[in-house]
Amino acid sequence: MSADPVGVARSSVARADLSARPGPALPRWVWPWLLLLPTFVAIGAVAFWPILEGLRLSFTNTSLITRQSDFVGFDNYAGLLSDSRFWNAWGHTVWFTFASTVLETLIGLGMALVLYERFPCRGLVRAAMLVPWAMPTVVTSKMFGWLFDGQNGVVNWILLQLGLIDAKVNWYGDPDTALTTLIIADVWKTAPFMALLLLTGLQTIPKSLTEAARMDGARPWTVFWSIRLPLLMPTLLIAGLFRALDAFRVFDLVYVLTGGGPADSTETLSTLAYKELFSTLEFGYGSTVSTAMFLTEAVLAGILCLWLVRTIRRVT
Amino acid sequence: MTVSNPPSGGRSGPAHVTRFDRRSFLSTGAAGLGAAALGLPGRARAAGRKEISFATASFFGSESFGDLVDSFNESQDRVMVRYIELPPPSSSTEVYQGLVQQLARGNGTPDVFSQDVIWIAGFAAAGWALPLDEFVDADMTSKYFEGTLAACTWDGKLTALPWFMDTGMLYYRKDLLDQYGETVPATWDEMARIGKAAMEAGDTEFGFLWQGKQAEVLVCDAVEAIASNKGGILAEDGRSARIGEPAAIEAIQFLYDSINTARISPADVLSWDEEPSRQPFTAGRSMFLRNWSYVWPIAQDPSVSEIVGKVGAGPLPHFAGGKSASCLGGYQLGLNANTKERDAAWEFMSWMSAPEQQKRIALNFGLGPSRPALFDDADLNEQQPFMATLRPVFTGATPRPVTPEYAKVTLALQSGLSKALVNGEVEREMAALSDQLDKIVG
Repeated sequence: MSADPVGVARSSVARADLSARPGPALPRWVWPWLLLLPTFVAIGAVAFWPILEGLRLSFTNTSLITRQSDFVGFDNYAGLLSDSRFWNAWGHTVWFTFASTVLETLIGLGMALVLYERFPCRGLVRAAMLVPWAMPTVVTSKMFGWLFDGQNGVVNWILLQLGLIDAKVNWYGDPDTALTTLIIADVWKTAPFMALLLLTGLQTIPKSLTEAARMDGARPWTVFWSIRLPLLMPTLLIAGLFRALDAFRVFDLVYVLTGGGPADSTETLSTLAYKELFSTLEFGYGSTVSTAMFLTEAVLAGILCLWLVRTIRRVT
Repeated sequence: MTVSNPPSGGRSGPAHVTRFDRRSFLSTGAAGLGAAALGLPGRARAAGRKEISFATASFFGSESFGDLVDSFNESQDRVMVRYIELPPPSSSTEVYQGLVQQLARGNGTPDVFSQDVIWIAGFAAAGWALPLDEFVDADMTSKYFEGTLAACTWDGKLTALPWFMDTGMLYYRKDLLDQYGETVPATWDEMARIGKAAMEAGDTEFGFLWQGKQAEVLVCDAVEAIASNKGGILAEDGRSARIGEPAAIEAIQFLYDSINTARISPADVLSWDEEPSRQPFTAGRSMFLRNWSYVWPIAQDPSVSEIVGKVGAGPLPHFAGGKSASCLGGYQLGLNANTKERDAAWEFMSWMSAPEQQKRIALNFGLGPSRPALFDDADLNEQQPFMATLRPVFTGATPRPVTPEYAKVTLALQSGLSKALVNGEVEREMAALSDQLDKIVG
């Protein structure tokens, strides 16, 4: 309030003046909460309310088509436990998450270690590395659709030329290879993201430690195994957590490339929930699938966070 | 109150007599009186028009459906139609959601809508589509293809008015058939034999291409095979499954065998929908192709096709003793049960489905008419010669299962059919699928 002459004149004791000023007297502890209120409202509206509403819907038989919306207790959850489609999708999602996160972490770590060293054009390579990650997933999907095309795909061509296979492989049409191909596409796209996170992690490790080790005659492998890796562990776990939570809701790759087929071999929880929610418009059961997905993800995040906290305690 | 429309706009928008009008009327005296006198009849006519709305997926040709709506508004002075544009048919899930959300509100908007054939039963069972029996009689319905009428009927009542259609059909290499001295195959066995011969002669790489991706199109391919063997996916009343019957099993077995024993189709068809299967055919690499009518103009376009002038199209083959069947697609007109302007809405939708408009849609959008008589039209045959070949195909138009639970039925079918085609345990998978369908529709 610039119009307040007292406050302007005696700025050094402004706080005392403010509380002494006449006006509606609010207890001091209210102010921080009042100022935080808009944030709470915004987060509540876009994050908590949808979760609670999803939870509520999962206990109803809401369907846009039958226009029912009655409370049915745990019926949907009982149905879910005996629904083979759900467990099939659950298994695929967990496997996809595990395989893609492990591969991306290992490959990302390798990329980060290489990009940490000095070599000509390093800046250019670091920038180019991010291209796959910057690409929209739908574009990646289409691209991998062509690369792994059974008839004209370049992957089949190369493998045939190298003599590694003797007939064209039907990557997306065979239940044995379809999910693996999706994992490869996901790894290609997201390993650079892991590399970026791990590179920043590497840069926080004091150079003095590695230099001291070298002067003591440690081989590069020992430097990596005994110094860099333990110190990188918190970053590695945070990056892994991000990646696992992200991989768990894989949707676009599956939706564009296989639609869940062949023979349901690439159905994931996201695509199943999408089909229930938006194709059949069964909001009740679809929300149950989403809630089950949320719970699995919460457990996953919980385990990784515990591990992370313990690692950080050990390192610091 | 808004400022009034300019006098010339009296017909195109909702007209109000506003404060501005009255003030200018009073202040301008005799001159204003004269102008207003000239303007008023037009306005009164516009104000007296019944307003309805029409929602449809947006198709594109040399014009849009908005242009048709404009023509209707100009052709008469009783009804004024507002055009609500939904996404294109390629995003049919979004179109479906959009329609369901509007119809579920029950406020009568949109008064008239167009719907994919597979939604008709669901909308009717939900009570959103008005049965049209009070408007139509046998004389009117006899002018449409039978298969389309079957798809537009739920619970014995006509709940949608046929508009335009598309169906699956067989594309073949005319040049190769002539070369072998063969005729267009009537049965699946003949087709397999000719396809095999073409492969062995080295003329084409594949015999027969179809769509086996776990998607809606797989259901269409299956409907065609099963119906051409006198089988069905659901019983007539839509309340029990028939897909476990021998006729259906034999049909699906044929599709499996085309990949694994006859080897006229590559295993890649299991991951192909329409476009991936179309590309090798127009590249001259296959003898036969099952696909929709959109392939024809592509096959005749020299910039993308290797087989210009060498292609023929016609009804799909059938099993011995059966009849050719082609899966019905296309959008049909529905009347909102909650509309407040029933007669106006009917006037508009019967205009849309009338021969003149269907002809215009056929000419300008390339979409097939649902009235057989139009296939004798001279203009149409001259400008769209391909349309003539569609008549026998449309005659065999077969709807997909007509049931309000279609969304669940199709997901179960896609999954079960895909499993059978992958693992070859056709009988076991069809039995499991049949149980599942019984649970959904029973």
